[in-house]
Amino acid sequence: MKPLTTDFRAKAAETMVDEQVLQSLEHVYTGFFKGRLEAIGNTDNWEELREKGKAIKDHTIAHLDYYLEQLADNVEKNGGSVFFAADAAEARKYVLDLAHARNIKTVIKSKSMVSEEMALGQALIDEGIEAIETDLGEYIIQLSGETPYHLIAPAVHKSRKEVAELLDDNYVEGNPVPDATELTMMAREKLRNVFERADMSVTGVNFAVAESGSITLVTNEGNGRMSTTVPRVHVAVMGMEKIIPSIQDLSTMLRILIRSATGQRISSYVTMVNGPRTSDEEEGPEEFHLVIMDNGRQKLLADEQMRESLNCIRCGACLNACPVYRKVGGHAYGWVYPGPIGAIVTPVLTGLKDAVNLPAASSLCGACHDACPVKINIPRMLLELRYRTAEGSTDKDERTSSAQERTIWKAWRIGMMGRKRFDIGARLSRLFLRPLARNGWLKKAPPPISGWTSTRDFPLVSSSSLKARLNKRSKKAKS
Amino acid sequence: MTSRAKFIANVTTSLGRTEVIKPSRDESTAAFDDAETARTNADRAMAENAANSVTLTDRMAEAASTIGWKVHRVANPEDAADVVASICEQKGATSVLRSTHDVLAEINVDAAVTNTGAKLGVTKHSGDNDEAKVTESKTTAFAADIGITGVDHAVAETGTVVLHPRSGLSRLVSLAPPTHIAVLRPAEILDSLDELFAMERNDHMTGKLAGSMNLISGPSKTADIEGTTVTGIHGPLEVHLIILEND
Repeated sequence: MKPLTTDFRAKAAETMVDEQVLQSLEHVYTGFFKGRLEAIGNTDNWEELREKGKAIKDHTIAHLDYYLEQLADNVEKNGGSVFFAADAAEARKYVLDLAHARNIKTVIKSKSMVSEEMALGQALIDEGIEAIETDLGEYIIQLSGETPYHLIAPAVHKSRKEVAELLDDNYVEGNPVPDATELTMMAREKLRNVFERADMSVTGVNFAVAESGSITLVTNEGNGRMSTTVPRVHVAVMGMEKIIPSIQDLSTMLRILIRSATGQRISSYVTMVNGPRTSDEEEGPEEFHLVIMDNGRQKLLADEQMRESLNCIRCGACLNACPVYRKVGGHAYGWVYPGPIGAIVTPVLTGLKDAVNLPAASSLCGACHDACPVKINIPRMLLELRYRTAEGSTDKDERTSSAQERTIWKAWRIGMMGRKRFDIGARLSRLFLRPLARNGWLKKAPPPISGWTSTRDFPLVSSSSLKARLNKRSKKAKS
Repeated sequence: MTSRAKFIANVTTSLGRTEVIKPSRDESTAAFDDAETARTNADRAMAENAANSVTLTDRMAEAASTIGWKVHRVANPEDAADVVASICEQKGATSVLRSTHDVLAEINVDAAVTNTGAKLGVTKHSGDNDEAKVTESKTTAFAADIGITGVDHAVAETGTVVLHPRSGLSRLVSLAPPTHIAVLRPAEILDSLDELFAMERNDHMTGKLAGSMNLISGPSKTADIEGTTVTGIHGPLEVHLIILEND
């Protein structure tokens, strides 16, 4: 998927005046955010689970090369194939070539953000292969030609009426809108036919278990199960960070993922597959392929300040907690991953220079850090990225601050670093700015301060310093 | 260099190392527990189950009903058969599919189903991988009104039924029909997900890990339209858990 991160401000502004979308985004808060709070409130050892989850991910990422080797060996031992893709284009080509080689007619897709990075759905369609999303939210988004709005609720911004227009072949403007149950049943019927004829599936991976070569899928709808059951070829695509070492680690990881994602204690279906169907099974794919994708993740791994972001298990809790996401919506972030986690990984994966507004769009309130089941310190990384855009400390090309801005701050720093300099600076600013101010505030300043005063008032330095006033008082007291 | 070798080499470099090193023991993951520890953990899971079977059954029933299972606690096989028959009648089922779990023979499910006039099929793999037979088994499952299975394990923490698909237990029997009935014996209930995955890990360490595993916790659901929860988007709309408490 081509990043459109430069449009952040425009897209955000659009959403903030769209009453219908803002109304829909309330579900994110009332459903997911509060549901999560309730679920963790009912979990005695929640903090302990988070610590465990973080420790498992920290350990795995620190030895990612070892666990990738182990995973690939075990998938192959189980009879599956593994493909390592350096980028989205390589991953896409592998799947397309496979589909052609196996003469595939219909591909069912089960929710996968990595396949969004690959823009795989459209690529299959362009090759003349029927490719249908099977997660209801993704299906709605596919019908409307959009990209997912949320990591786990892709169509959260859509009203029931909009869904009816997409799903109900008999819907006429002005008629009563079918309820959610009726619409869901229409989708069930349409997708049932697709399941019956599908000959290949593409799914994501929630957790890949290195020691056994297993992949785990978590769904409420059952499309993950259909995808691992019906077609003759199953392709699972994953980002290289989605590994855990042991089967036994799954109990912790599932507990924190599911509570954080939907507020449930468990999702309707957790499916673990260990390769193609075994010889005594009645059905299940004859072929299993695991595509492990990099697509820029090496940059996160090599970057000690950003490495922690690879602990992410894509639960969406930081989106639901974020007061900015709930107002600007998912499309503003301009690429696959929206919200706070998107604001830190998208700039590194797609280029900080174009995505400079993503880390800037945060109040640094820390709600994302509190919500994260693996304790990723997102605010720290937002600040780190802001620092990079201001200073260009790691890469001059990432710098977006103007020479003038940097000069002003340099001067400010020098001015603040000595008592004498500070006093002179204060005196000078009083001298130049006082004539322009009213009641101690500047409403409209000349450049370069005009950038500040275009959106807020600028306070004038007080007429005498605190030190001067204290001196005066103590003299008075002595006399 | 192969794409795999190049990929891994890049990861090693990104980690600031020159070669792949085997991680040293880390308590955070169970990956370093040896086969002996895995076996002890699995044995303990089963022992705890035997000691607490009554409490576990209560907890299982409660957790299951919270997440949408219709729970039927019965004291003998005849009552279990009656529950199955009444569900078949209530659903007006004409075609029912079942697995080969022993418990289904114990409650004589075949008679219960066929007495209602429904046709009963059994998912039993013939042993060959003939494509036509695989297709036929799929078609049958998609056409069935009710799927009946036993249970391989259950998890009291979450109200979950665990199935390991194999010959005699198709993946679809608990998924494709709009109604699923699972018959559970208290001996199959484990305390929590920890015990379940401890047992899975022991299976892995002893080379007995099943090809796949499904954890089933209530009916198929979605909340993708305006956050309203609706059951039965792809899998069963209605799921029944019969707990046979005579053992």
